[in-house]
Amino acid sequence: MTETTTARMSHPRTREVVVTGIGLALPGVATYRDLLGPLPVEGGLDPASELRGYEMRHKDRASRLALRAAEFALRNAGLTDAEATFTGMADATAVVVSTNLGNVDAVCAAADTIAREGTRGLSPLGLPETSSSVIAAWVAIRFGLRGPNLTVCNGVTSGLDALAWARNLIVAGRAEAAVVVGVEPAKEVAMRLLCAPSIDAAAAVVLEPADAAAARGIQPRATVAGHARAGDLAAAMTAVGVTEERSVGLWLAGEQDAESGQLLAVTRRIDLEAQLGPLSGALGVLQCAAAAAHLDSDATGNVLATAGGPRHDATAALLLTP
Amino acid sequence: MTWDITGMAAVANIGASPREIFAALCAGQESRRPLQVFDAGKYRAAYAYEIDDRPEGGDDIPRRATGWLTTVVRQAVANAGLGEDLSQVPVLVGTTMREQRSLELWWRDHADVALADLHFGTALKATFGASTTYTFANACSATLYALGMATDMIELGMADTVVVAGTDAATESGFGTLDRVQNDIPDALRPFDTSHKGMLMGEGAAAVVVQRAGTGNGPVHARVRGVSINCDARHATAPDPDGITRAMQDAHRRAGVRAQDIDLVMLHGTGTPRNDVTESTVLSRVFHGAEPGPRMTAIKAMTGHTLGGSGLLSLLMAVLAMKEGTVPPVLGLTDPIPEAVGLGLVQGTPAVGDHLNVAQIDAFGFGGINAVTIVEAAR
Repeated sequence: MTETTTARMSHPRTREVVVTGIGLALPGVATYRDLLGPLPVEGGLDPASELRGYEMRHKDRASRLALRAAEFALRNAGLTDAEATFTGMADATAVVVSTNLGNVDAVCAAADTIAREGTRGLSPLGLPETSSSVIAAWVAIRFGLRGPNLTVCNGVTSGLDALAWARNLIVAGRAEAAVVVGVEPAKEVAMRLLCAPSIDAAAAVVLEPADAAAARGIQPRATVAGHARAGDLAAAMTAVGVTEERSVGLWLAGEQDAESGQLLAVTRRIDLEAQLGPLSGALGVLQCAAAAAHLDSDATGNVLATAGGPRHDATAALLLTP
Repeated sequence: MTWDITGMAAVANIGASPREIFAALCAGQESRRPLQVFDAGKYRAAYAYEIDDRPEGGDDIPRRATGWLTTVVRQAVANAGLGEDLSQVPVLVGTTMREQRSLELWWRDHADVALADLHFGTALKATFGASTTYTFANACSATLYALGMATDMIELGMADTVVVAGTDAATESGFGTLDRVQNDIPDALRPFDTSHKGMLMGEGAAAVVVQRAGTGNGPVHARVRGVSINCDARHATAPDPDGITRAMQDAHRRAGVRAQDIDLVMLHGTGTPRNDVTESTVLSRVFHGAEPGPRMTAIKAMTGHTLGGSGLLSLLMAVLAMKEGTVPPVLGLTDPIPEAVGLGLVQGTPAVGDHLNVAQIDAFGFGGINAVTIVEAAR
């Protein structure tokens, strides 16, 4: 191969894909515009009251968070009616979920129960949770979404990767819309794996082709312009076409690393995890919501979101433009 | 558009290569084994289809699924005549359990396992220098989902070569919860037979190299004609005939084939009454009017349910069946359930001497996520 695959990742045959809806379910962030300022703020999700109700029964915490965020995002995109029933093209709407820790507590709890009292001590209601795909299934079932249903468990880059795969499904003609949810629950095993306290966090965005959004009279919040998962930050940035510093007005950075400051000297840089704690699979989708806030505002320039780095298996970059 | 399969590799309880596994399926010897490391006193089920590769002494070790994955990826790229540097080659991994068995060993026994071990990019980076790697936890349709998305990448001009792989090791949480919910406990996995009682887990991994048509270095094993992916959006664990029907019809449409063009169907065939009845009812409808209809077989009777990798393993067996003109039987199938009576299920001994040109492979996962692939022989 003469041309690198990663470079070509960012230029699939063009069918422009845009963000048409945003929904958040996390404490300390009341609206997506808060993501640009100091966090946490007053408000946001109250897990004690907002994760209850008939639709939440017998569902794991990550699925509950995801259902909340997806509901808000679909409403925000104008794809639900007053009863929160989905009104879009059900057969052609995809669900893409990013999560790394969604079911880790359930897995460890089941292993404990078996060791203590054998399988008779398990609840049959725990069956769906043994599979990491459970969250995407519940979102599809709740809104009747019969398009492709994908669960991306890809480490710290998962959220950005999930957005890229949702865009691929649309560009390839497999879906006319996609609900992308990044979600992690604040539970014991999850925090032990993260080696840090974490919060319940779910963020959802709706992606659609630009022409479909225009036909519905929806103003796009952002365009998903390019994605790469590459060996390092420089390669990822080159692959998404960030070669000119002036074009980037906001850099949603992941972990700091020594060289990164030299690669891109942008006026504004926000590290969501420095303010909210580790976000894992929720990070990338939350970064996309923050990008929409920037592009909505008077500020100028495109938004670069990055995750991963030298301590991980790759660095992912997502370029969002107006 | 079609896509070339130029590299193949697999490991399961009954063999360490696609050819070994195919030969074992044709030989049709019972392959279930008593549980190897799980405490048998804690479970009602006494058997599984594990890979026997743990060290002497009986203790379990972490990252077995990862080890099988790197092995089959290495073998598949070698089979395709490619080098082991995958820094420019996307690797798409489908799995049900990720490294959840390692998570259990970390939690229960303090095994040295980190968060980064849960997804497979970490090992693929260390072993092959791969960075464009994705772990999809798409239950038991995961590898056919990944195959569909690999063909999309090639069609969209994002890559010429993609490695698609899947791997799963049995977990206590998964095996145990299944043990809890199945009414009858199966002694063996007996798909489509009236004696079927349910599913038993297997272990395994599979990999293929998929390339833009005509761009590979070596021989083409088979061609992918089309892959459908969808979701029932109906039930968290039970299959839905409508969703499965749509998946099959969409696969046929994408591949440009009619039901009567299909010579072989590799069934999902988990041995749960619910799957077997649903799948055979849908197949009877889809192939109605296409008499005599395709040969059908189901490999999980011998491999157990290898979860995420099972769809790709079925695909590899379809490729070899088309090469050999031989379809392995469904082990233990003597008295088909009424819904499956009219289907061309191979019983007893392999069906030989067929000219097999087009095969359909089914994979259905928890959450109603379905994928159906159509492959064509390369001659």
